[in-house]
Amino acid sequence: MQWLSPLFGLYAAAVAIPLLLVLYFLKLKRHEMLVSSTLLWKRAVQDLQVNAPFQKLRRNLLLLLQLLALIAMLLALAGPMIALDKGPGQRYVILIDRSASMNATDVAPHRLTEAKKQARVFVESLRSGAVVSLRDRADHAMVIAFDRHAKVMCNFTSDRRQLAAAIEAIEAGDGASHLGEAVTVARAFAQPSGGEAGASSAEARAKLVLFSDGRIRDVETIVLAQDELVFHRIGQVRDNIAITAMKARRSYERPEQVEVFASLANYGTESVTRDVQLGIDGDVRAVRSVTIPGRQADSDGATPVPGKVAVNFSLAHSGEGVLEVRQLTADALTCDDAAWGVLEPPERLSVLLVTEGNPVLESALRACPIERLDPCTPAGFDALDPALFAMQSAYDVIVLDNHAPARLPRCRYLTFGVVPSGIDVNSPRALENQVIVDWRSRHPVLQHANLTNLFAAQSRMLELPRDADVLAEFNESPALALLHRRGSTFLLAGFDVLQSNWPFEPSFVLFCYNALNFLATQTGGGEQHELSVAEPIALDDISAETVTVTCPDASEVEVQADSGRGARFPATYRVGVYRVKIPDEAPRFYAVNLLDAAESDIAPRSELKLSNMTVAAAAQGMERANVPLWPVLVLAALVLACVEWVAYNLKARI
Amino acid sequence: MPATKPTTRKLTELLDSKFMARLDSLDVLSRKILQGKLQGERRSKRRGQSVEFADHRPYVVGDDLRFVDWNIYGRLEQLFLKLFLEEQDLTVHLLVDTSASMGMGEPAKATFAKRLTAALGYVSLVNNNRLSISLFADGLRTQLTHMRGRNYLPQMAEMLLTTDCDGFSDFEKACRDAATSRIGSGITIVVSDFLFKQGYEAALRRLIGARYDLYVIQVLSPQEIEPELGGDLKLRDIEDGDAAEITVSSALLKYYKRNLAAYCSELNDFCTRRGAVYVRTNSADSVESLVLNYLRRVRLLR
Repeated sequence: MQWLSPLFGLYAAAVAIPLLLVLYFLKLKRHEMLVSSTLLWKRAVQDLQVNAPFQKLRRNLLLLLQLLALIAMLLALAGPMIALDKGPGQRYVILIDRSASMNATDVAPHRLTEAKKQARVFVESLRSGAVVSLRDRADHAMVIAFDRHAKVMCNFTSDRRQLAAAIEAIEAGDGASHLGEAVTVARAFAQPSGGEAGASSAEARAKLVLFSDGRIRDVETIVLAQDELVFHRIGQVRDNIAITAMKARRSYERPEQVEVFASLANYGTESVTRDVQLGIDGDVRAVRSVTIPGRQADSDGATPVPGKVAVNFSLAHSGEGVLEVRQLTADALTCDDAAWGVLEPPERLSVLLVTEGNPVLESALRACPIERLDPCTPAGFDALDPALFAMQSAYDVIVLDNHAPARLPRCRYLTFGVVPSGIDVNSPRALENQVIVDWRSRHPVLQHANLTNLFAAQSRMLELPRDADVLAEFNESPALALLHRRGSTFLLAGFDVLQSNWPFEPSFVLFCYNALNFLATQTGGGEQHELSVAEPIALDDISAETVTVTCPDASEVEVQADSGRGARFPATYRVGVYRVKIPDEAPRFYAVNLLDAAESDIAPRSELKLSNMTVAAAAQGMERANVPLWPVLVLAALVLACVEWVAYNLKARI
Repeated sequence: MPATKPTTRKLTELLDSKFMARLDSLDVLSRKILQGKLQGERRSKRRGQSVEFADHRPYVVGDDLRFVDWNIYGRLEQLFLKLFLEEQDLTVHLLVDTSASMGMGEPAKATFAKRLTAALGYVSLVNNNRLSISLFADGLRTQLTHMRGRNYLPQMAEMLLTTDCDGFSDFEKACRDAATSRIGSGITIVVSDFLFKQGYEAALRRLIGARYDLYVIQVLSPQEIEPELGGDLKLRDIEDGDAAEITVSSALLKYYKRNLAAYCSELNDFCTRRGAVYVRTNSADSVESLVLNYLRRVRLLR
């Protein structure tokens, strides 16, 4: 069952029932009394009525008052409205920014609340449809909340209560703000349905009403028509201290040694000194005072850049843990005052070397800090069941020395010589006498390795797919390439080590060291533990049906595993540490960080520089555009009823 | 008290002995000298054989020589006749309202009316006047006629005490009946509240005649003279059940009193114009003072 206008009925009842009561009281109950004769009393009453002044007028006065009360009620039911804003019904799209910067507390309690408040005022000022009307002149509006993605809170409607509820339902998030998607969604919804689009395109174009602090990332890419966007600026201050970068890594040589790097930015103009604290699993390990310079004009003088300072901590921690870097002084925006990192326990690699016999390679690998190195013959490797092999995941890296196995289990590979088949790499012919012409010395794999003197007597021509990363090039072909295929990572060297002078070069050992180091970073369970806001937590190969995710605000969410034994938790809208509990396993931690210099810059913009024009913020705050008259009328009806009662009593008494 | 023993109701229930002793010295007085049926203690207009000298007149042929005053003839040598007033008895006719409205009031108008009636009846009987008492409501209810002498006192008392006040009042019918049953000449005294919806004029006109003096005694209760009401009331007439809805206000009370005064003065004027005497009484007043003072002043009693 649906009520078209339940409130209408309520208003009617609220008026009619008290009035009925008043009318009931008007009908007096009289005490009965015996007298010897009513002769004289009747004469007295007659005299009274005849002699009372304005007799006729008063009889009419009651009628008049009743009529006025009735008219007031009827008018109230008709729902009149003083429309301060003339014209036909408009369509509005209310865009409310709920990105991280809208959590700033410079406008109490915070900017998003203020935006919602202003949006509500806007909604209340929309014209609602008349109860009885030939034309629908009501304003329609829809509500979209956006951060990185747009979320439609409410489709076009003229029901102001529904709109207010939709606005109220918007929750704060810690994401970056991207307006483009919201505009696209708004336009898609605003498209008039049916074929009459051409009839009133000007009328049908919805007006965008944006409530934001103006810190929108993609504002320069948006094209809007003239007067299509009204921008209501929320926010006042610009001072904010933020952690804009944070990274923790273990030293490769001394795995218990953890290096933490953080970068702090000051968006205020004054230089400030702040305490930065490092904690691990809730225990404070170090506090450091840093002075961050104020915002200064850029070299070209156009855009001032925030003052930045880098902090690094070094601590010994051999186990796993959750690192937290926090600046301790409260400021307008709290979600960028801390950053978290998930520290994995140091891991030593298990390497499988598949070779017919390559002592050079084997000794170079043994020199690296690895757990174990298992040599294996190509025949022995082919005999392994790839599915079982992948399941056991006994080895972190497989080194293929001049061997192209028929089946490749999912793993990370370092190959020399023959290229494995089935990874979109062709080696049509052999090459001879190749020398290195270029290499990417900054790539982690080739860090500190000097390949200047590398010479290969025999090599393979490599035809790589586009997404492959070429690390070093011979004069005719790529020499080293990095490729991701079928869940595996391949580091390809197109030549046999024994057919080159590389074993005699120091760079060979460095390469082996770096390659294992690099491939090892590709491991870690294959999962990303440090995420940005709204990036989903992805779990692969879980053994349970459901996992429990504990959010930073201590709420718990049950996530069902899908058919592929994976689970995704997309609702990482707030920064903090998310704890994932898989039954019968140790909990896993995921750090969701803002680490966004643009979003931490909370200074509200007074104008939006769109791609095609500049939209200035609305001069004043929201004001009512119309005034509903029915409460006044209902009040008038009530007052009239009271006056009528008084008049009736006066008539009876005089 | 059982109705089968009415003799136990005594006149003393209405009049105390001290009052009765004072009433003994009174007599009913008629302003007109009326011709009675018997040669009673009353002077009559008719000259006749009596002890009380009235006048002389010159002798004319044919007069009875027995009434010639010879003493005057001896002095003046002219014949004069002595004229005597003939003393005759007086009929006192009491017409008492016993309709339901007379039962109202605090003290009840009926009580006052009955005591007044008893007092007047007592005076009449002890002076050997002919007394008739008629109780009426919607017509005559009971009548005691042609009473004379103290012997009738208990009978009168019993009738007054055993009659309750109820029923409509039809004053005109009562007066019509009373007027036709009335014989001789004398005094008619009407005791009522005179709150008759159909009016009193036609009825009173029937009672006014050459041979009868008319006394109109209106009995009103204090509640009727000074109503102490308040609030929204529905006044119901005890006789015909008619209702009047009023909301008591000072203005309404003012109009009520003005109406009451006008009504009484209308009645007074009506009576005065026709040679009748109007007396307005309050049922809260004492019958004694009324009878001993006021009625003597209006020369009903002597």
